[in-house]
Amino acid sequence: MIIAGVVRDGTTSRGSAAHPRGYPPRGHGRRDPVQYGPAVASEGGVGAVLRRWALVAAGIALAVPAGCGRSSLANSAGRFEPAHAGALTVATAFLPAAGFWEGEAPDPSGGFERDLAHALADRFDVGSVVVVPVAFGDLVGGDLGGADLALSELTPTDERDEVLDFSTPYLVAPPGVLARPGIEAVDVADLQPLRWVAVAASTLTDVVDDRVRPDDDPLVVDTRTEALQALDDGRADVMLLDLPVALAQAKAAPDRYRVLAQLSGPEGLAAALPDGSDNLQAVDSAIRAFLADGTIERLSKRWLGADLGSAADDVPLIRTEE
Amino acid sequence: MLALHMPEGAAFTFLVLFVVVLAGPAIMTRARIPGIIGLLIGGWAIGPHGLGLIGNGNQTVPQLGQLGLLYLMFVAGLELDLGVLSVYRRSAVAFSLITFTLPFVGGLVVGEILGFPTAAAVLLGSLLASHTLITYPMIRDAGLSGNPAVATAVGATVLTDTISLVVLAGVSGTQTGSGSTGSIFLQLAVGLAVLVGFSLVVLPRVAVWIYKRLGADRSVRFLVAMISFLAAATLAEVFSIEGIVGAFFAGLALNRLVPNEGQTMHRIDFFGSTVFVPIFLVSTGLLLDPSVMFRLETMKFAGLFLVACVGGKTIATVLSRTVIKVSWHESGLMFVLTTPQAAATLAATTVGFEIGLFSTTVVNAVLVLILVSIVMSTALTPPFVRGVEVPAAAEPELGERVVLAVHAAEPSRTATQIAARLARRDGGVVDTVLVRHSGEGRVDRGPVDALSDLATREGFDGEVHVAIDRSSAQAVVRAANDLGASLVVVDGDLDGDDGPLGATHWDETLASTIPVPLVLVSSGGDGIRRVLLPRADPDQVEPAAAFVQALAQFLARGDVAELDDGPDWAAGLRPGDVVVMAVASVDLVVGLPTPPPGAAVVAVPASTVAHWHPHPDVAES
Repeated sequence: MIIAGVVRDGTTSRGSAAHPRGYPPRGHGRRDPVQYGPAVASEGGVGAVLRRWALVAAGIALAVPAGCGRSSLANSAGRFEPAHAGALTVATAFLPAAGFWEGEAPDPSGGFERDLAHALADRFDVGSVVVVPVAFGDLVGGDLGGADLALSELTPTDERDEVLDFSTPYLVAPPGVLARPGIEAVDVADLQPLRWVAVAASTLTDVVDDRVRPDDDPLVVDTRTEALQALDDGRADVMLLDLPVALAQAKAAPDRYRVLAQLSGPEGLAAALPDGSDNLQAVDSAIRAFLADGTIERLSKRWLGADLGSAADDVPLIRTEE
Repeated sequence: MLALHMPEGAAFTFLVLFVVVLAGPAIMTRARIPGIIGLLIGGWAIGPHGLGLIGNGNQTVPQLGQLGLLYLMFVAGLELDLGVLSVYRRSAVAFSLITFTLPFVGGLVVGEILGFPTAAAVLLGSLLASHTLITYPMIRDAGLSGNPAVATAVGATVLTDTISLVVLAGVSGTQTGSGSTGSIFLQLAVGLAVLVGFSLVVLPRVAVWIYKRLGADRSVRFLVAMISFLAAATLAEVFSIEGIVGAFFAGLALNRLVPNEGQTMHRIDFFGSTVFVPIFLVSTGLLLDPSVMFRLETMKFAGLFLVACVGGKTIATVLSRTVIKVSWHESGLMFVLTTPQAAATLAATTVGFEIGLFSTTVVNAVLVLILVSIVMSTALTPPFVRGVEVPAAAEPELGERVVLAVHAAEPSRTATQIAARLARRDGGVVDTVLVRHSGEGRVDRGPVDALSDLATREGFDGEVHVAIDRSSAQAVVRAANDLGASLVVVDGDLDGDDGPLGATHWDETLASTIPVPLVLVSSGGDGIRRVLLPRADPDQVEPAAAFVQALAQFLARGDVAELDDGPDWAAGLRPGDVVVMAVASVDLVVGLPTPPPGAAVVAVPASTVAHWHPHPDVAES
């Protein structure tokens, strides 16, 4: 077997000319049980053993469906201990944020991350969700304001990883190109003459400079709100946002924005927990379960208009040098 | 100033990966530790818990790892010896039930102790119950592959791993599917039925059809194998069954079409062991987290998993002595064969992790289990091997490696079909040998290429060789011995001395140097439509008489006609008729009449089957 081939010392698997593989060569089993078969205790003995063990196996197989429902997963998938008993406390920097958090703290009315928080609370059986606004700078600096975790359109980076623990990403988040109505582009050559706006502290600013390389220097602003304002005013044509955020903006205001395309990238949005949190495994397992059972897909389509659980197949890709 | 960039991107990712694939096993095997450990540790080293060369956000390596996992399970099904299972089926089935049930129950109990939900406990039980034949190469190399205890354990692997994968499909389906438990299981049952039907009925037929239409290029055969397992995996996922179940069934389905000795299997093995499977193991190693692995909780989990697995397997091998009579050392061989946890365990653990049933703690505990089970079994194998007597070498099946000796680029259809049918029945290969004697000068490439095309069209999956010697017959003998033939089919003229492979080139002494049966086929035969056998001759020497009887029965699929043995029997033959006869000596072959065009005479010199044992299944149709 290949796995056995990997185990061996790397020399070609040649025992004898007739047995080069990790299994007995096919057809080498003698078919005459009288001459070459195993000596059985008795014909009745084998049959009796077979029947006995078949009954045991069948019994187990029948018992399995009875218990295979969803129930507490604390010990196999990690334990979750909330910071505040009876509630899952979630920090976020953007409230409201179209498509992600709609309404107001402490009980937003909708949004992808809002619904994700409630799904987590259900899985951990903690009753309710309390949302705590925390400044973005504090979040990425490791201060969650006492919350169990943060759901705030966060992309894991090496710097942030030093002060936070991140779960498995729940949404893919390559760079998305958000544009004013009437702007078209199908490749990098189309993107370069456009007027770009970038947010100073955003990691996507480097992507604009290094991979798009616009003909003119981008307009640089301090916040995402100012960047969107620049698009509304006509001072800029396009900007880069994480694709899920771009899609949410376009869905919320289709007459003002549209998503032209995405650029390739391995980034994703993930839940952030305090560095060294004991709850990481539980949150991680929960996210993976939601990806597997379609919860993420359902929420993504509802709030963002596309399935961004594993790949953004519905959005055109513009290839750039990486 | 130089504007240097930190290495990143696809090129860097693959560079790091392949360096680990190369160096990991090499370093470990120097320390006498199985290479698989090197890949797992290498994955840790480059992963987010090690040097961070492959970060948390990297999607490429995990996705390639997924492909590698599918490939691994495909090859697991492809390489399993269904023939062994059929020979030792009663003991293998009995042992498989025991060696599955006990660790499975152990896993359920451990899951209960640890407070796992039922689904997680069931999945844990099934992964502890599976096993990988890590130690088989050591046992095979000691000459014990034919030992009944060994063969029973190998045969049991088919069933044990299949049951584990079906349980995995059930658990995964209940965790990721929507709807009631009953509807989920109904969907799973339908899905498994469709998958089995697709794999066992549709896939082999489509593969054979494609081989015949497009198979001139051997790359096509490899691609068909790839498409097969990916198609089966995709179909499985349509029914919410894990793709690895489909890939495994696809391997079982193509088992007979891809001989272990053939070129296609070599290509599949090459790509698997070089690229796909190691990448899967490295991607699994990315999950290794020493900060989690050496925690008390992880060690507690690992300890309990080990008790359930090793304890269950130990009791199973002890109880197996009630099923088959084996010595304690042979029981030990069964233990070291069925205890190592690797491929199927990793597959189930990966799935459990991905659907959120298992945490990183459980995964790391399973990795500890894998490491310990492999090292322990590897260390225990030599003493058990020493305690078992090496049996006499088993006689190969007739069709294991058929050498078809020809002189022309287009051998007769009769000779081709005889070789192909025997090889296909025994899951073997046909090596075509273009024979020349040294006086014929340089060998033109044309006939070799034409024979390659023929081999591909007929599905031989063997190689084409050129053999040159002082005489054609001597070239045949040398080629047969060099290639380790199980049977030699010679396509040539039996009567005259003008044919390069004519019977006059043979003499008794030369023929007796071939240790396997020699089947001389007259040229010009147009296939096999009717098989005739001369009336039984009481003076005929056994086992030659039995051999030709069995060969005729096989070629005729049980419907053998009796040859009219009057003086002009040859004149009455029609195109497609094949007369099979034993001859007491090679000299007598020269006196055989020339059959009319399209018919053929198959002569078997008695001296070449002197050591052949009657084989009941040769007569199977």
